[in-house]
Amino acid sequence: MSTCDDGVVARAVAATDADEATAAETELYRRFAPRVRLFGLKHLPDRSAADDLAQQVMLVVITRLRAGEVREPDQIGSFVLGTSRMMVAGQRRGERRRAAIVARFEPFDEAAETPNDLALDSRRLAPCLAALRERDRTIVLLTYYADRSATEIAAVLGTTAGAVRVSRHRALASIRDCFEARMAS
Amino acid sequence: MTNTSVPCPSFGELADYWTSDITPGDAEGIETHIFNCERCARMLAEADRLRDGIGALARNGSIQAFVNDAVLNRLARDGVRIRSYALGPGETVRCAAWADDDVIVARLRADFTGVESVDAEMRFDTGEEWAQATDVPVRMGETELVLALPAALVRSAPTGPMRLTLRRSAGASGERILAEYVFQHEGTLQRR
Repeated sequence: MSTCDDGVVARAVAATDADEATAAETELYRRFAPRVRLFGLKHLPDRSAADDLAQQVMLVVITRLRAGEVREPDQIGSFVLGTSRMMVAGQRRGERRRAAIVARFEPFDEAAETPNDLALDSRRLAPCLAALRERDRTIVLLTYYADRSATEIAAVLGTTAGAVRVSRHRALASIRDCFEARMAS
Repeated sequence: MTNTSVPCPSFGELADYWTSDITPGDAEGIETHIFNCERCARMLAEADRLRDGIGALARNGSIQAFVNDAVLNRLARDGVRIRSYALGPGETVRCAAWADDDVIVARLRADFTGVESVDAEMRFDTGEEWAQATDVPVRMGETELVLALPAALVRSAPTGPMRLTLRRSAGASGERILAEYVFQHEGTLQRR
């Protein structure tokens, strides 16, 4: 199942009975819940809200697949994204979270990577950040910690927004390579 | 399994998703792509872990860097305990890190007229180097540079004088030394 196209997995979910948790359902959750969570991290105020969104969206997606309401299972990614967008819009209108949904999806949490599993080892990351050029480290900190735009950073450093973006890409690639090397050693 | 006909963005382009620079249209483009490409979804998650890790290091007071008030303000909002010392050229300051300090900040004042970047080094009286930085950017009209140090690192340093020298970056013409400052390090202090 893990090597199947997303559409094959979606059709397998659609073919199951309600109340029956299947390998296909777990696989669909494994594939898409992390993506919904990433979407939530961008559009919602905190990580717990993003976690809740992932569970809510996947419940709706699976329910609608089973009800035969997804016309193009091969486009399941687009359907999950559309559902995510609708639910974020709903949350912004003050929609209350439904505790029952969280309970419904607790068994699936093992299928998707959790935030704690994904946290980076600070001891390995710190030397990678320290190894950056001073200018690049400033850009990385201002971007990812102080939430400053390239234009704002450019004003601080006396350069252009384009140059900040280039430096940022280079710095992130350098941190990533350094971190991977440290993980491998 | 990945099924997408759209070319995959680079890691840097994906990481832009987490910045305030990205336009709504570009963000939607990345979202459309990652919901159809598991590989890029994993890379986007990796970029998120990196930014989260960078934030965690900052919040832990574990970053040594020249910063500005935007970073200091964010640290203060995150509850990081900051102890600051401000020095003019040639000045000596008695300094210490308290046991519950997270970050030590040195505000280094100088005349930076015409200076685009500096190199900095900190040495003990013995001449042994303790820390150094090269190519620190200086904004036009700047009157001070702000150096943030992990308090844990300062606490581990031996007591005694430590000399910080700022120089114009290599390649600049004229006198390179801009200013020197002396930190009379008195060690770690405990609250009673």
